[in-house]
Amino acid sequence: MQFRFLSLYLIVLTSPLYATPYEFGHGFNLHDSLTAGGYVSTEFESNQQADTFTIDDVAVMAYGNIGSNVSYLAELEAVGFYHKHLTNGNEGGSQKFHIERLYMDIWMSDTFNFRVGKQITPIGYWNLEPINVLRDTTSNPLYSSLLFPKFLTGIDMNGYLPQSSTTRYHLFGQATHDMDEEYINIPNTHFYGLSLEHELSMETSFGGSIGEFIALNSDEKTRFLQGNVKYDNGSLLLSAEAITAQTDYQHAKSDLTLSGYLQSVYHFSNEHAIVGRYEYYDDQHRDYKDHIGIFGYSYRPIYPVSIKGEYQWHSQENENRTLLSFSVLF
Amino acid sequence: MKKLLIFYFLYGSLFGAEYSIIISKKITLSEITSQQIRDLFLMKRHAIGNQKIIPLNLLGQDPSRITFENEILKMDRDRLNTYWVKQHFQGLTPPITQPSHESIKAFVQNVEGAIGYIPSSMVDSSVKVIYEF
Repeated sequence: MQFRFLSLYLIVLTSPLYATPYEFGHGFNLHDSLTAGGYVSTEFESNQQADTFTIDDVAVMAYGNIGSNVSYLAELEAVGFYHKHLTNGNEGGSQKFHIERLYMDIWMSDTFNFRVGKQITPIGYWNLEPINVLRDTTSNPLYSSLLFPKFLTGIDMNGYLPQSSTTRYHLFGQATHDMDEEYINIPNTHFYGLSLEHELSMETSFGGSIGEFIALNSDEKTRFLQGNVKYDNGSLLLSAEAITAQTDYQHAKSDLTLSGYLQSVYHFSNEHAIVGRYEYYDDQHRDYKDHIGIFGYSYRPIYPVSIKGEYQWHSQENENRTLLSFSVLF
Repeated sequence: MKKLLIFYFLYGSLFGAEYSIIISKKITLSEITSQQIRDLFLMKRHAIGNQKIIPLNLLGQDPSRITFENEILKMDRDRLNTYWVKQHFQGLTPPITQPSHESIKAFVQNVEGAIGYIPSSMVDSSVKVIYEF
């Protein structure tokens, strides 16, 4: 199935019959029912143990409209496509593609829509733009990967709240196994939540989410409360997200995990930006706490091509590292 | 680019040049807010009330498109490009484009729910104006 999808993908990309002129980073718009695109990212990491080079994400995607009220999106991705341990020379990787997203949107009205299938969980800002090329740093904050399932295989009812032009909601649920669990951070068969996002002005928005899930491997239930706020005037982007999660452990008392980040991005031109981020992570069950400071630089010759570098300071010993990356969205 | 924008701003101020957002006369909608237009052209919304809307953009760098983007969308071309690159990852494409104001007007006349911007001097009884800028 994946081979057929990739073959079809290559055929349409090499077709000279593009419906509209190609614009880098906007996908190949072949028809109202088919736009094709993808992304690639490479990463170099140097820490106190080793230097490594990784072709981290290779992904292809296709989406379009099926009629006036139904649309779809399909994405296949190979994570860890190629990996070389520069210190000891070992290399490896997996070229197997897995289903990253596969869903259908059914538009009923601006207040009432359904997204059905495997999709990104609609929580906060970071989780909705998870790929390297769209981020301002190579690394992800711990907040974004450890405390709630990044993907949902289920239904998300969403839209603007009735009588509101500035507040959106997502009411989502999963009651089955994840579709293609290969890259799922927290496999589960039970995941429900509600997210709200309010736009105060063109520059400022804030929101929050509540939810619960039961991890498949441990059968432990976690409930979480999350909040996010963002200010973006085009040159300065300030964003902050925080979450508290309470897990009912099987053989121990319930415990909290707290995490959050505050990030500032200053664009001193369209191409160049500097980034600073502070992260906090406190897992009381494992008695693990870390404060992380990140300083980075981002260069985008054009927006869909990203070259980034950053240095991380950790309060935990031996965690400091340097990260460099190159990523492209096409 | 800045000089061009200043020129069009001064020209508009001195000579009263303006643009109109038009829709088919068959549609009962009589007015629309700039916030609604912005949401429709950024594909955040797809309808006004029960009426499904099809936004139309002008191809290229016509002064009317630059004015529309700056005054209604309140985004310059670089910021818009960033926005649409991000939306590409989310599976959304920009509004469909037309090569001229004449074709926008013809599209609006013939397709229920289509809206677009044309110079106000081109407005006649075949279309309905729902916003001016």
